[in-house]
Amino acid sequence: MTLAFIGGSHRTVPLDLRERLAFSAEQAAEALKRFRLRFPGREGVLLSTCNRVEFYAAGENTAGPPPREQLLAFLAECRGIDVRLLEPVLSGECDEAAVRHLFSVASGLDSMVLGEPQIVSQVKQAWAIAQESQTTGPLTGEMFQAALRTAKRVTSETAIGRERLSIPSVAVADFARGVFERFDDKRVLVIGAGKMAAETLRYLREAGAHDIVLVNRTSVRAEQLAARLGARNGRFENLQAELTSADLVVSTTGATEIVVSLELFQRAEARRDGRPLVVLDLAVPRDFDPRIGSRPGVWLYSIDDLTSACAANRKSRQRELPAAIAIIEEETGRFMGDLHHRSTTPVIEQLRAGWTETGDAELDRLFRRLPTLDATAQTEIRQAFDRYAAKLLHSPLATLRSESHSGPPHGLLDALKRLFDLKD
Amino acid sequence: MIEFVSGISVVCFVASYLVALACEASRLVFRSGVRGAAMIAFAAAGLFAHTLFLLWRAATEQAVPLSSAFDWYLLAAWVLAGGYLWLAIANPRTPVGLFMLPVVLGLIGAAEFSSRQPFPQSPATQVWGAIHGSFNLAASVAVAIGAIAGLMWLIQAGRLARKQAPLQGFRMPSLEKLAQISSRTLSVAAWTASAGFASGIMLNAANRQRGLLETVPWTDPVVLRMGAMVAWLVVAAAVSRAVYRRPEASRITAWLTLVSFAVLTASILWGIFGTTRHGVPPAVPAAAAIDSEAAL
Repeated sequence: MTLAFIGGSHRTVPLDLRERLAFSAEQAAEALKRFRLRFPGREGVLLSTCNRVEFYAAGENTAGPPPREQLLAFLAECRGIDVRLLEPVLSGECDEAAVRHLFSVASGLDSMVLGEPQIVSQVKQAWAIAQESQTTGPLTGEMFQAALRTAKRVTSETAIGRERLSIPSVAVADFARGVFERFDDKRVLVIGAGKMAAETLRYLREAGAHDIVLVNRTSVRAEQLAARLGARNGRFENLQAELTSADLVVSTTGATEIVVSLELFQRAEARRDGRPLVVLDLAVPRDFDPRIGSRPGVWLYSIDDLTSACAANRKSRQRELPAAIAIIEEETGRFMGDLHHRSTTPVIEQLRAGWTETGDAELDRLFRRLPTLDATAQTEIRQAFDRYAAKLLHSPLATLRSESHSGPPHGLLDALKRLFDLKD
Repeated sequence: MIEFVSGISVVCFVASYLVALACEASRLVFRSGVRGAAMIAFAAAGLFAHTLFLLWRAATEQAVPLSSAFDWYLLAAWVLAGGYLWLAIANPRTPVGLFMLPVVLGLIGAAEFSSRQPFPQSPATQVWGAIHGSFNLAASVAVAIGAIAGLMWLIQAGRLARKQAPLQGFRMPSLEKLAQISSRTLSVAAWTASAGFASGIMLNAANRQRGLLETVPWTDPVVLRMGAMVAWLVVAAAVSRAVYRRPEASRITAWLTLVSFAVLTASILWGIFGTTRHGVPPAVPAAAAIDSEAAL
């Protein structure tokens, strides 16, 4: 065993325990320093996000990473949690399974929202903290580099992270942006103070919107919200006038009846000079009369319309899953092949050194017997010897590399050690 | 080098544009990391060959780009191909080639059916000829771009009305942008087509004065089709302007641009397959012909 991980995610660890187990950046650095002192010579990286806490450990063949029980006790101790609480919810894997798991995590395949891209930066951050804490090494280095490379391939070669999944992001990016080229010259009207208004406004602000008016039945609440959202506070009684000047409406009231009737809208429409209007009716029940959606120049989207678009996007992501898994399998296989080949390096180096030593001794003897040879001739002969040794070594080394793809070539290595009297 | 340039034929750049179009179409089927680069490489190669072909004709056959129907169509296609390449680089996620490249290929096809014989010109009429050809070229390109924007507007509006998320690889520009392009190009097309028609009248008068070309009568198919097109474009631009403050304005303009393109296509086909005295040298008088034979 060379690589191991232990951890849990939103799939296995309940939220309250996940909150207690989570590490801040400072706590992660502190824990890694403690790891370095407790397990000298071992490598460790701690990945802690709101959805998962995972510890990746590595050690060369002779030492190996700390066993599962020790890692479990270490995590429990760091967070002051009874180890018996963690035992049933944290799982662990080693070697190929651990690598495959990290690659899946970094690619967003193990995330709560399939294909979400934030995990890549969280993996990078975890790696940076481990580097600062001096708990990284060649094994975790290669493993995390390969994980980031895999995530990049999954992003560029599949559409798994391409389609949006949240209602506000779909409303703005797929629909409002389909109508308007820019938002910095548009007026946004927010009716009500529902939960989704703030998130939708965040996307609109990112798109450039800054002229935002908020109207609510309760003016005190509207004032507070307007101040929080950086919007101008309008009066609910002036709704018709606000509708006349708005380009985009986000409606999220808790009203049980229609807030904008067809008649009210038609009065506002007459003064709109034909400007298009996008209405994102995120309220349940709806705030806008559905007949308004069939008025020319009006693009009305209810929560059901947006939910359907989100569901279609989710299906589209699911369709990309096999392609993403294939990339992860390919990269895992490549990484493990390289890792197994690393284990052959000491034997190869010994073999090469032994042949070079013997060759040099024979050449020295030859040059003493033939003192008339000039420097050019000696160099030519030395190069010929080197080429001869390289050619003889080529075939066994190629066989070793090829065998490494299917696992550590222990049989071949033992045979080489016995045949050429190599020591560990 | 000269051997290389002289070997370039229409097939070379048509093949490149076809491959670029196939790459664009494949967006709808699968994702690829290298497709964008391949698409731009083939479009750029096609445009390069297209440019060399036009330059070679200008250098060896005294065929200034607008001096024959064949060269006129190829130049119009070249302008659109250049526009496509620029848009493909600036907006790599927009499948603009699916709409522009068929028009480019259609214009090259029209060139193949047109006369390669340069119109006879004198230094005096050359200026009017260039003005006439340039305005007509600008009008045709504006009509084509407007129609492409109009078609994209209708597709995008259909998608938004059906409340569907954008298809993979088929993300259109916003309705606001497309409406702006189609409205502006309709105005540009009306103005430039009118100027092209007026300069054609001036050219006709200059030719008649110098006896270079046959006088083109008002009943000639070319005059009729160009007149009809100018009339349509002026009406279309006026209608588009008149409905500017109505909610249906963008949809009406989109349809007007499509009808304008249909009128342009009909006009081109009429020009290719109809009979005309446009650009035809005057018939040699019988007496002059006998004198020439006697001189020989």
